[in-house]
Amino acid sequence: MDWLSGIWHWVINLPAWVWIAIAAHLLVLGTVAYLILLERKVASWVQDRLGPNRVGLGFGIIPWLKDKKMWGLGQPLADGLKFIVKEDYHARNVDKVLFTLAPAMMIIVVIISIAVLPIGGTRVLVKDVVIGSDAQKPLTDYTPAEIAARVKETLPAGARIDEKLSGEVQKVGVLKDDQVEPAAQGEPSHRYLVERVVYNAYRFQIADLNIGVLFILAVLSLEVYGVVIGGWASNNKYSFLGGLRATVNMISYEIPLGLAVLCIVIMFGTLDLERIVDQQAHYWAGWIPAWNVFSQPLAFVMFLVCIHAEANRAPFDLAEAEQELVGGYHTEYSSMRFALFFLAEYAGMMTTSAVCVALFFGGWHFPGVDHAVVTIVNALTHSGAWVDPAHPAVTNSLTVCLIRAAVVFIKTLVVIFVFMWVRWSLPRFRFDQLMMLAWRALIPISLALLVMTSIIVYVWSPAQESLWSVNGQAALIFLAGNVVVLAGSMALSRVLPPPPQTNRKVPVPGSRFTSTPIPAAAYN
Amino acid sequence: MNPSDIIVLDEPRLTLADQFYLPQVLIGLGTTMKHMLRTLGGKDRVVQYPEEKREDLPVEKGGMLEPTYRGVHRLNKDEEGRVKCVACFMCSTACPARCIHIEAAESPWPDREKYPAKFDIDELRCIYCGMCEEACPVDAIELTHLYDIVGLTRQEMIFDKAKLLRIFDQTAATEPM
Repeated sequence: MDWLSGIWHWVINLPAWVWIAIAAHLLVLGTVAYLILLERKVASWVQDRLGPNRVGLGFGIIPWLKDKKMWGLGQPLADGLKFIVKEDYHARNVDKVLFTLAPAMMIIVVIISIAVLPIGGTRVLVKDVVIGSDAQKPLTDYTPAEIAARVKETLPAGARIDEKLSGEVQKVGVLKDDQVEPAAQGEPSHRYLVERVVYNAYRFQIADLNIGVLFILAVLSLEVYGVVIGGWASNNKYSFLGGLRATVNMISYEIPLGLAVLCIVIMFGTLDLERIVDQQAHYWAGWIPAWNVFSQPLAFVMFLVCIHAEANRAPFDLAEAEQELVGGYHTEYSSMRFALFFLAEYAGMMTTSAVCVALFFGGWHFPGVDHAVVTIVNALTHSGAWVDPAHPAVTNSLTVCLIRAAVVFIKTLVVIFVFMWVRWSLPRFRFDQLMMLAWRALIPISLALLVMTSIIVYVWSPAQESLWSVNGQAALIFLAGNVVVLAGSMALSRVLPPPPQTNRKVPVPGSRFTSTPIPAAAYN
Repeated sequence: MNPSDIIVLDEPRLTLADQFYLPQVLIGLGTTMKHMLRTLGGKDRVVQYPEEKREDLPVEKGGMLEPTYRGVHRLNKDEEGRVKCVACFMCSTACPARCIHIEAAESPWPDREKYPAKFDIDELRCIYCGMCEEACPVDAIELTHLYDIVGLTRQEMIFDKAKLLRIFDQTAATEPM
């Protein structure tokens, strides 16, 4: 049984990100199945219907659940089962390799992009290391090597000391009756004998990447390859047209998307999603949460529009316009391959919504879910939970991290609900309208907003770092900048020449739209 | 059509709100949210079919008006229990779906010349338009309010004379001729 305990040891010693990755994938893939149910429910509520409400979790087999309908909660499982047992069919002349590759590519790309989402801040373990017990010997008398040795023997084996955080949250106190008490103001420095060491810090995200925003933009734009390749490989003109439309859609809307994100990046001077969230986790004027949606509402609106286009969903779902293209790029797909496309669409929605939450809605931050929660957790568990006041993301409590993850999850679901709400409210754009919106409206406005943000940051930011923490005053300036950009573009839009005439009615003799008289000879 | 008949309408100039699209989007979202809240508040327009049936609901709540409903056919019988049909082929002539097949035979009764030896209706082809009912000179064929007819095979769904007469027995009480 030695090998068994060896495996067990290996499993429990896996790094934290492995567990976070497993949990996040299970959560996302499980949620995606239920998002499809929610989508159908929202659709039916909008249309005064009730939606699927027949399939309970008993499936007619489990005796005590047999007659329970449970609002149709079994529907996604039944759908999944149906997809798995369906015939894996493809038409004769498809390019088999690409045909199989396309849905896989799409789902892989979407799942990879989950990796850099900040889920719940940074969890650290903290130990107060007593450097010396001699109250008369000042701390400064200990050499760094002595302190390091002392720290090393106090910490558990294999602990990774986080130099950066230890430096930033280091607190020294005084030892009284084996308890560390923070030093009171004005106490002589030589009595400070305790150093607080932060070790084993890990972020509540899968990959600790300091270019998270860039990574997400890069990876999510790969999603369209699945659509294009799927459309191409199907050897079907409708699928092909769907793939082409998806490309054009993506090319047009990636630009304002990137520019809107860039506004936030310039504001905070970092590409690290967790740092962006961290800097939103405070309040303006004591009660307004410092979320970017309040300081950059225009950027938020543009980002929201662009992620709708990015997800290929209504009103931008030209790639799968049922009325024109049968099913668009997935016309030829069935069974699990089709399900992967479907899954990727919803998982992509989840990722982009989570990015939206991180960039504009303060990620895990919610009024109350910071210090109040820590107090409650402390009162319930006596675990000595704390949150670093300078970096609200840093906490030593796993419970707090999990609560934050729940907040992120709920916020993401709210954004996804907006996706669905929009889908069942708005009609699809015509193709030229789609292009017009991107090239004549979103791109100029987002460029203007980017310039405005850059100017504000250049003029008002502190010297050391571009606005490290946007305070209420800076937020007002950004808000004013947004209003100026919006008002300017509104005023300009009245002056600018009208767009070129599109959707022209070509005069064909005899057609309904022609005003040319039909020559009498045409009738004979 | 003369060129003078053509009225050329210009598209109305967009207001600022139209041009910026978002205000109109928000109005649209408000409309759908109103519907959503109404449905979630229990004011949906759904009849939960097998448990609730339209024939049990009052007409003003979306119930079925049984006398005028066009469901499965029946062949009426007269007072002596004989089939009323005189095999005149009016119904099968009127039928736009061509689903009525009649074979006439000499009537065994003195009051008419012919009667249907066979009378088959393919209920799968039937479009339930009620033309046969309109065409019948002796009110022999009628549409009842029964709609939940099922069968395991297509053959089962071709209703013959005996079956159509049985439907009359079944519905005569609730739906007099």
